[in-house]
Amino acid sequence: MVVGELAESADLLVLGGGPGGYVAAIRAAQLGRRVTLVDEAGPEGLGGVCLQVGCIPSKALIELAATAERVRGMGDMGLEVEGARVSLERFQAWRERLCLGLAGSVGRLLAAGDVTVVHGRARFNRPDRVAVRTEEGQARFFEFEQAIVATGSRPVELPQLPFDGERVLDSTGALALAEVPSSMAVVGAGYIGLELGTAFAKLGTRVTVVEALERVLPSVDASLTAPVVHRLRGRGVDLRLASTAERLEGGQLVVRDGDGEHYVAAERVVVAVGRVPNTDDLGLDAAGVPVGPDGLVPVGDDLRATGRVAAIGDVVAGPALAHKASAEGVVAAEALSGRPAAFDPAAIPAVIFTDPEIGTAGLSEAEARADGIDARSATFPLAASGRAATLGATAGFTRLVVDAAVDRVVGLHVVGPHASELVAGATLAIELMASPEDLAATIHPHPTMSESVHEAAELLLGHPIHAAGAGAPR
Amino acid sequence: MAVGDRVREHQELVEVQTDKAVVVIPCPAAGVVAELCAPTGDRLAVGEVLVVIEPDGDGAGAPAPATATEPLQSAPAPAAPVTAPRAAGRPLAAPATRRRARELRVDLATVAASGPQGRILREDVERAAAASAPAGAAPPADPAAPGAAVAPPSAPSVPARPTAAPSRPGEVVRLRGVRRAIAQTLTRAWQEIPHIIDYREVDAGRLIEARDALRRRATERGQEELARALTPTPLIAAAAVRALADHPYVNASIDMEREEIALHRQVHLGVATATADGLMVPVVADADRRSVGELALEIAALARAARERRLEPGQLRGATFTINNFGGLGVWLGTPIIQPPQVANLGIGAIRDRVVPVVGEPRVRPVCALSVSGDHRVLDGDTLGAFVSRVVTLLEEPLLIFEDLT
Repeated sequence: MVVGELAESADLLVLGGGPGGYVAAIRAAQLGRRVTLVDEAGPEGLGGVCLQVGCIPSKALIELAATAERVRGMGDMGLEVEGARVSLERFQAWRERLCLGLAGSVGRLLAAGDVTVVHGRARFNRPDRVAVRTEEGQARFFEFEQAIVATGSRPVELPQLPFDGERVLDSTGALALAEVPSSMAVVGAGYIGLELGTAFAKLGTRVTVVEALERVLPSVDASLTAPVVHRLRGRGVDLRLASTAERLEGGQLVVRDGDGEHYVAAERVVVAVGRVPNTDDLGLDAAGVPVGPDGLVPVGDDLRATGRVAAIGDVVAGPALAHKASAEGVVAAEALSGRPAAFDPAAIPAVIFTDPEIGTAGLSEAEARADGIDARSATFPLAASGRAATLGATAGFTRLVVDAAVDRVVGLHVVGPHASELVAGATLAIELMASPEDLAATIHPHPTMSESVHEAAELLLGHPIHAAGAGAPR
Repeated sequence: MAVGDRVREHQELVEVQTDKAVVVIPCPAAGVVAELCAPTGDRLAVGEVLVVIEPDGDGAGAPAPATATEPLQSAPAPAAPVTAPRAAGRPLAAPATRRRARELRVDLATVAASGPQGRILREDVERAAAASAPAGAAPPADPAAPGAAVAPPSAPSVPARPTAAPSRPGEVVRLRGVRRAIAQTLTRAWQEIPHIIDYREVDAGRLIEARDALRRRATERGQEELARALTPTPLIAAAAVRALADHPYVNASIDMEREEIALHRQVHLGVATATADGLMVPVVADADRRSVGELALEIAALARAARERRLEPGQLRGATFTINNFGGLGVWLGTPIIQPPQVANLGIGAIRDRVVPVVGEPRVRPVCALSVSGDHRVLDGDTLGAFVSRVVTLLEEPLLIFEDLT
């Protein structure tokens, strides 16, 4: 341990051990760099929000809730279940083991690359130096040749509903609940709010979703949300659009809409109205790294903010998604190591674990038209899918969007069971500029949801097999 | 021309540079310019919309799009590759191809795509890189190759520095039109043709006397235009044309694919002409059937048309032999590059007074240097040399040019 201002030297310093930071660190190590990674959660907290309090635990909770609901709903199919009960307490213990196990795996990957992991909170104090306040309250200084800022984002707080870890929770708090609340108000109908609201509704909580806009999931094409809204309402979720959360009053949340104030049962309130980049307390000024008014760091194609500092993930523009951060991590590590690298994907897929799931890759028809593309689309209804029928989940569709001028796939939009698993193939088609004919001539396995992509391509070409009378492409 | 401008039918609408010339495209309809679909200097493929004109009057008719109807920027290759369509805002290339382009520092926007509907393939990128690489430059090693460019893990604290950024020019001029055609043609010429160059010194005293005599005669007859056109160039042209009659392998073209040498019956004479757009080589058709006066007038007219961008594509095609008088530029000794499929190019420098031995005595004489390039696949030192000797004789004794007339 070095004390005082004496600095340790770091070749490449990575700030943040999430899916952006740890991937960047491993890639840089593969390129021969000596990498030091600083994360405030330490070795046990590696993996960042995604692994610890985001993607992984939320998918685990969603899986639990969905399975619990499904087994109870399969009487028609012949499954008789008695005494099925969800214990969130046991779930939390299991979740802890899950996250520890995954964080341990990340730690081992970093160790294999000789990446030094430092537990503490980093702050730039010079263009080539960070101070790290360690868990023990000591300061260590690292003089770096290059650095990658991958500090992620945190939930936005509403002034009228400050997080208190008890009544008013952020998504982290909601995922840590050890008991199923009787009622929950979810403020914000983005993907985090709807995923959590859906899961708790399936666990038996009376859920109200409060959204200021007129629609849910503003990041995706409106047509995709209809089956989701239908299912939410069908399971008794009170969807309050064009409404704002005003305040807590006793056990209730006061919600205002055009008709005035309403009282909503809310044993717990989950605020999921967005995330803000963790760039305000990093001393980026001292490093000469500019920060925009939105808290984002402006970067070039190679993700450099300055000659020696790159930034990736939630602290730069683009969707705040783990896979985008990881892809950027690879580019940043390569660019800083002298490789000609650029972040220039043709599509960044997105998946939403609502019920049914939503998966998107590339452009919607409207976005494509706005880009000046001669866009055509074809929509294959899941009512015509054999696999969807066996799942008892035929609400939804698979829509393929193509650029007619160059005969290539530019978008796939799926709402339906396992939609999240369908978009990787579509992203590949978009990146490789596949034509709808390529998709139609590619054998898709039966019986799977992926056949719907094939059918949408056939539909677009005007000769669908399983959608008689579905007509010509729109 | 701007959006909102009113245009008449047949009005000159746009100047289009093809590989060979600048062509003025007339307006196909009267109306108001509703949209300019490409900025000045851009390349359009045949069939692409150039401008949208909203018809006058009732406005009921659909906008009349003026499409590129002639091959604008047609590439010389048989299967004309197209530059990737820009509609989607980015070149059409798969991720590995985009990566390769970055490695090779190739701008995908400039790559000719050979895939369907403008898809850029990895080979296209590599071809583009090869075409732009300086001769002899080794292609960059594939950094993905095992071991390449990866510092050993035990490397000291020296970090892998970023490679030197490419220099940033103050201005980037897109390779377009005449410049692009020159670049492509001369790259091919220099790479394909094994040049041999025969350099000679010519006593130009009698050539100047002949030129002066012809000019005086024209002036006396009131042929002012002819008098002005009678520079040394038409005499050099005439000398070359007469010499070609006796040396058919110099007035020839070579086709390596068919493994044939075509010996031409006529001489279509290319005359290299400097213009603001770049070097152009208009062609005097049937130069072997023209008198010196006719050659003078024709060469002068073509040069003027070239400078005024009035040449038609037909006036730039079909040369069987080329002369290049770079004396006007002050050049003493030049290196003419042969334009395929021709097999020779005659260059001549400035005529200057020089001290030369005349019958054993130093004399001041007007002298110029002749440099004639020959394609060694067709011509050898002796065959080319025989032709050049004949040209030198005709230039030093210009009366012989008129031999046929006596």
